[in-house]
Amino acid sequence: MDENKKIIKILVVMCSIFFIIVAYLTYLQVFQGKKLMENVYNRRNNEIEENTLRGSIFDRNGVVLAYSEKNGESYERIYPYGALYSHVIGYNSKIYGKSLLEANYNGDLLDLDNYSQVFGMIYRESKGNNIYLTLDHRLQELGENLLKDKKGAIVAIDPKKGEVLALVSKPNFDTNSKWLEGNWVSIVESDKALLLPRATQGLYPPGSIFKVITSMGAIENGLDKKTYEDKGKVIIDGYEIKNSGEKVLGNIDIKKALAASSNVVYSEIGVELGGSKLKRLADRIGMNQDISFDIPVNKSIFPYDTMGKNDMAAVAIGQGEILFTPFHMAMITAGIANNGKIMKPILVKSVVSSEEKKIKDVRSNTMYKIMDVETANVIKDMMHEAVENGTGVNAKIEGISVAGKTGTAENHLSEKNKGKEHAWFIGFAPVEDPKIAVAVLVENGGSGGGVSAPIAKEIISEYLQNILKH
Amino acid sequence: MFRKIAYYIPLCMIIFINIIGYAFLAFKEETNNMHAFLVCFLVLAMVFISYVVITKKKFGESYLFLIVSMLLSIGIMMIYRLNSDLAVKQVIWMFVGNVAFFACYYFYIKINKWHKYTNLYIAVPVLLYILTLVFGTTVNGAKNWIIIAGFSFQLSEINKILYVFFLGTYFKNQDKLFFQKSNFSEKNKILINRGLLMFITYLNAGFLVLQRDWGTIALLLLVYLFILYIFSEDNRFLILNCGLLFPTALIGYKFFYHVRVRVEIWIDPWQDVLGKGYQIVQSLFGIGSGGFFGTGLGMGKPYMIPFASTDFIFSAICEEMGTLTGVAVVLLYMLLCYRAFKIALNIKNRFEKIVVLGLALMLGMQTFIIIGGVIKLIPLTGTTLPFVSYGGSSLVTSFIILGILQAISKGDFSNEGEKYG
Repeated sequence: MDENKKIIKILVVMCSIFFIIVAYLTYLQVFQGKKLMENVYNRRNNEIEENTLRGSIFDRNGVVLAYSEKNGESYERIYPYGALYSHVIGYNSKIYGKSLLEANYNGDLLDLDNYSQVFGMIYRESKGNNIYLTLDHRLQELGENLLKDKKGAIVAIDPKKGEVLALVSKPNFDTNSKWLEGNWVSIVESDKALLLPRATQGLYPPGSIFKVITSMGAIENGLDKKTYEDKGKVIIDGYEIKNSGEKVLGNIDIKKALAASSNVVYSEIGVELGGSKLKRLADRIGMNQDISFDIPVNKSIFPYDTMGKNDMAAVAIGQGEILFTPFHMAMITAGIANNGKIMKPILVKSVVSSEEKKIKDVRSNTMYKIMDVETANVIKDMMHEAVENGTGVNAKIEGISVAGKTGTAENHLSEKNKGKEHAWFIGFAPVEDPKIAVAVLVENGGSGGGVSAPIAKEIISEYLQNILKH
Repeated sequence: MFRKIAYYIPLCMIIFINIIGYAFLAFKEETNNMHAFLVCFLVLAMVFISYVVITKKKFGESYLFLIVSMLLSIGIMMIYRLNSDLAVKQVIWMFVGNVAFFACYYFYIKINKWHKYTNLYIAVPVLLYILTLVFGTTVNGAKNWIIIAGFSFQLSEINKILYVFFLGTYFKNQDKLFFQKSNFSEKNKILINRGLLMFITYLNAGFLVLQRDWGTIALLLLVYLFILYIFSEDNRFLILNCGLLFPTALIGYKFFYHVRVRVEIWIDPWQDVLGKGYQIVQSLFGIGSGGFFGTGLGMGKPYMIPFASTDFIFSAICEEMGTLTGVAVVLLYMLLCYRAFKIALNIKNRFEKIVVLGLALMLGMQTFIIIGGVIKLIPLTGTTLPFVSYGGSSLVTSFIILGILQAISKGDFSNEGEKYG
């Protein structure tokens, strides 16, 4: 019977839609279940939080950076160092929710996995997991003191492991609920952008530190063997590009050009490399790409589709419309120090249960390779020269070989007032066996060599001469 | 001996699930222990007595009732966990439903002239729709409730059954139902008949638009198209009707804010988590928090899901009894559909065949629409989950459908089919 055949077809359709439901339910549970359960809007967690001792957060040496304490009926989150970790750990407020690590590691801190709830009936009062960071509290505190009232960021990374040693963003704010909840409106409305974690989410023109990346392209194309004539200024496509102070450097090679931070030579190199090579260079170092990290990091921006000659010249010396986060710059510096390999950045080293059992232990691995060893060695040498005999001389340390590059990035404020440039310094040490890579940014701070290089010097020498020795 | 055991195994499973579930609930300090056991006893007693009657009196197909009993047990258990007073009411509705089941079974076979009341199947729904529009109250966005003396009814539930009956009478005399004695040409008669079929379908849908009952509209149109696919001998008519679905959906989307909002929320509920997306997001939180094995009955927080005992009961089940139980519930509905289709395959009489198919499709599609909705597979439209959700009119209607299926599975309508077919 024809009808019965059609009925069977419809039966197959009906069965398939039921199987689609089953398949979708499975998908939902396998791929979204944990996310849904830990979602900040899931009110089930508020109730769990009332009965759970939220885990503590420690630095790499076991210094407590955040812990919870019973206060009457419920728990209160306490940050013993007030504002110091506001842009790393974030806040955990009953009213304003959670941010940064407190939000991203909420599941671990409350130990919200499928099984804890099943046994929740037996252990009504449960304990969350503790988190160990890669940060060194001493370095973090030093960074805070060095920046003081300046706006800016300091990022220090162990180049071989990718472990973040210090992550300072200024200005910051006290994250203890009492202060936070009392001053929320003024925090949000502050013209200093208090809530912005500058190190990871602030975007700045890189200025001359981008010359290090331009050098990468130059070396790979054999331009490091060439000599350029620097007359203090050059006109490209109708735009005049000047050295700082219109200094005439004469006949120099790329090594000297980097040490003296010659805008003339690098803008010429930019034009020689051309738009597509610059673009590929930007892709290779991870611009316009998400960086997976324990807290959100903004993408660095390379906005050009097609580039004119003046764009090439501007990009090559770090001006134009390209923007970087200090964190990304520190990663690139660490990549150069680590012979061209950027390690995946690590902030949370391990998650340990309340019974001292390791639940997660993060190992270093390579994220991407930006250049080969030979190129890296040439750049290292050039950056060493920049600190020994160039603009980065303020970062020089007695007895330690430091490599680095200064940057003094123009911005809309500095166009009107001199001394309002963003002051950058990137560097690493010791050159022979790099143990720390640093990026320092001082917003509208002035000259990179004058303002940021001394800060980097303090961080590097504290780490190498005090922290690692003990 | 073996046959005897096989006979009792499904029943034992239902008893087992109920006892375990209510024992669990009784141990929770907040609830009233005596209530739990009373509800458990009443549910099991009704299932047992009805099942014995069905098998001993040879009512035909015996699995339908067992599948439904399992679904009911899970439903009442969940409702009890959410609100024990509602569960007691649901048990009363279950009793009414059982009575309706036997009554429908009896009257369906007794009257046995159901294909002759075409006018009734057209007039009664229109009357009920008008009643609802005049006296109706809006609940959860849909104006389809009538409240009399504290009891609320959803009359569109009955209309769904009547519409299936209408489809049955139409296709029993395909394209020859209306104006047989008039002197139109044969071709025009067919056109008029088809036009009236479409008119009555869209009239039903139109009334439902006025009630903002989008779920039932989708249900009616889907059943209509499936039946058309199986029984219409003219493919052009089928294609025309399928084609009409797109402009209908487009008009709905363009002119009705409700429809647009539901589609937008389906695409991205996170854009307004605390507002329009609230219900679906809470439902997903429930499912996600339960995991595959659930938090355990009474240990989750399904009361955080809005309408947890009615439209969203599936999410509540998933949260506390686990996604695996959710899968089991879906498979039970699939089995129910399969058994009903099997009945349809063996019937020669067209009217009964269409009624069985139509009702099975109703149950199946309604399940798909509401479960798909609460798990965000398709846009959410509020309807009840048959046999599981709390709600008197829904439960009694579902039992009426079951009674009709049961009657048709038993009755021998083939002779009569020859006479008219």
